[in-house]
Amino acid sequence: MSSKTRRKIITHEEQCVGCRICQLWCSYQFTGKFSFSKAFIKIEEPYGLEPKISFLEDCTTCGQCADHCLYGALEKIEEGM
Amino acid sequence: MEWNGYTGNILNVDLTGEKISIMKQNPDDLKQFIGGFGMNCKLGAERIKPETDPFSPENFVIVGVGPLVGTITPGASRTAGISKFPATGAIANSCGSMSFGFHLKQAGYDHIIISGKAEKPTYLQIIDDHVELNDAKDMWGSDIVETTDFLWKKYGSSGVIAIGQAGENMVRGALTLIDKTSTFGRGGIAAVMGYKNLKAIVTQGTKGVSIAHPKEFNEAYKKLFERIRNYPQRQSWHEVGMLRSLPMGLMLTAQGQKKKARQVSDRFYLKKIKKRRIACPSCPMADKDILEIKEGEHCGLIQYTSSAINPFLMFTLKGLNTYDEVIKIFDLANRYGLDSLTLTALFELITRLHEQGVITEEMLGLKWKSDYETLAEVTEMIAYRKGLGEVLAGGWKEIGKKFNIEDKMLQVKGLDVIFDPRFMRLGTMEFEQVVNVKGAHVASGGSPTYATSGGSIERFKTHFKRMGIPDPAIKRIFKPLKEEMMVNVPRLTRYSEDWYALLTSMGLCARAQMNRFFSMENVTNFYNAVTGFDRSQEDLRIAAERSWNLLKLLNAREGFSRKDDKFPKEWFNNLKYGNNELQLHDFFGTTVITPTIANQLLNDYYDERGWNLEDGLPSQKKVKELELTPYM
Repeated sequence: MSSKTRRKIITHEEQCVGCRICQLWCSYQFTGKFSFSKAFIKIEEPYGLEPKISFLEDCTTCGQCADHCLYGALEKIEEGM
Repeated sequence: MEWNGYTGNILNVDLTGEKISIMKQNPDDLKQFIGGFGMNCKLGAERIKPETDPFSPENFVIVGVGPLVGTITPGASRTAGISKFPATGAIANSCGSMSFGFHLKQAGYDHIIISGKAEKPTYLQIIDDHVELNDAKDMWGSDIVETTDFLWKKYGSSGVIAIGQAGENMVRGALTLIDKTSTFGRGGIAAVMGYKNLKAIVTQGTKGVSIAHPKEFNEAYKKLFERIRNYPQRQSWHEVGMLRSLPMGLMLTAQGQKKKARQVSDRFYLKKIKKRRIACPSCPMADKDILEIKEGEHCGLIQYTSSAINPFLMFTLKGLNTYDEVIKIFDLANRYGLDSLTLTALFELITRLHEQGVITEEMLGLKWKSDYETLAEVTEMIAYRKGLGEVLAGGWKEIGKKFNIEDKMLQVKGLDVIFDPRFMRLGTMEFEQVVNVKGAHVASGGSPTYATSGGSIERFKTHFKRMGIPDPAIKRIFKPLKEEMMVNVPRLTRYSEDWYALLTSMGLCARAQMNRFFSMENVTNFYNAVTGFDRSQEDLRIAAERSWNLLKLLNAREGFSRKDDKFPKEWFNNLKYGNNELQLHDFFGTTVITPTIANQLLNDYYDERGWNLEDGLPSQKKVKELELTPYM
């Protein structure tokens, strides 16, 4: 990411299937372990009718969660500043 | 020692004494049996004594998750279970998916060994180090959906195995659902849990799973993930899920039920039925369904299922005319913890024999009509063992004796046939139903005869290589009983089972759409990178074979042998299918399978396994070769 752009992760919760690959990749990258609870991205009610996706403050918006989402629930956007 | 992939912990739960303890895994055992399914077999062999009554404190329920579960390895979320099953009396394996295995691993356990019988309704809570037996008085009498929702509300996102009223009432074939979606324990694990007063198991973990060699893991993961990302059919699997895998419309049309066929089309499903797609943890090929009825009498019904095919198979029943009736009946079965496949087979048989005058209403004790109302009523009667339900809850063996219809039932060892080879032809999944220790089950029969139905011989070869079938065996597989049959399905079945045993010991999905991406090579690479062990492909292949043979030996101790590996007699009669009369044929449809040929097919299977032709059991030589002598 250049210094003149800002990265955002846009969520499309209706596309989320609850596979939680995003959380697994995130926790692995930042802690070296696979875990839902250690990830900076949170999925509430992954098997509910309306899952909720949110990000913790520590999230660096590295965008790797979006790179690993195969279902279109996470989208990485680079915005000019 | 430092554990990677594995947690190294086995949880012992004695329901009678309300005692919980932790046992350490022995790395030498893991070299022999890998984990998950394989280790379950070993743990079961050491504990379940011959001739144990399935409904006794001495029976066990052993649950296990393989070394890849809990990581991001695609499709690594399977939970395997072993017990002595009340429907058949066999010691058998069952598998489920969704999030239970993942959470169990995160909580810090590879296996749970459950023994004894709780004094009162109980549920097992496994939240990291907080393992407790809790009062389930308020949950007893609830269905599976209610129980799971209750536990999710209490614990948040967690893995739940729950039983319904059928399990509580010890209906012999009762199953559990994992996360109210994935069937687990066809043939009666829920009934065993019901006997033990164990309503549910809930697990949740925060410990994280580490791996031994990140660099090697990343390499293997990236390669596989990109292959899956670029798979041209991925989007279509995501859209229609398991409907891709079975030609339901074709089946119903061939039966002369065209109006119904329209209601199982992709278009109808997408417009009227599908609510949302869900997936097991780590799965890039999501195929689980949340269905919704959006109109009519059952409007608003939400139904979770591991495969939309299961409710649609109930559509083959006469008198169920609309998709919403089918989903409603299926929902009832799921909530109670009844096996929808068994119910379908049961209703079809009773209706047919009632029409033929073999079973009368006097014998049934009720007015029989194959329609929604009757099927809903009988489903409830079975779950609560009321009236006719008392007999039907006793399983096929009891039903056969009661109505004197043993020869007419499509079952093997007390479990009903799922795929009728007269319609599907005799591939490995169909043949497996005859030889599986569990009875007529199709889980381990996955092979190119399923994945590339009608495919070329070249494609078969590609799959054989992928599954790690040795070259000399491939040559034998291409030497069938008669040249025109092209492929020797019984010999291939041996390797399908071993391949299944490997995937299930690792914790990997065996469904065709994920299975196709796995090979002996990449599974071995993942295993070594995750665990830090240094095992060859051959080591793992032999470990899988060892596990399958051990399961067979356990059932030899129970008195099972070749006499029980029987093609259902009815398969040798024509199947009336709409205006067609279907005969039992080999996979390519060139040869009619007669009882004599069926017997020869069994010979080929036993021969490929290295088992005795006389009794169909592992030979002394095979037992010694696999280092299984202590289990004889």
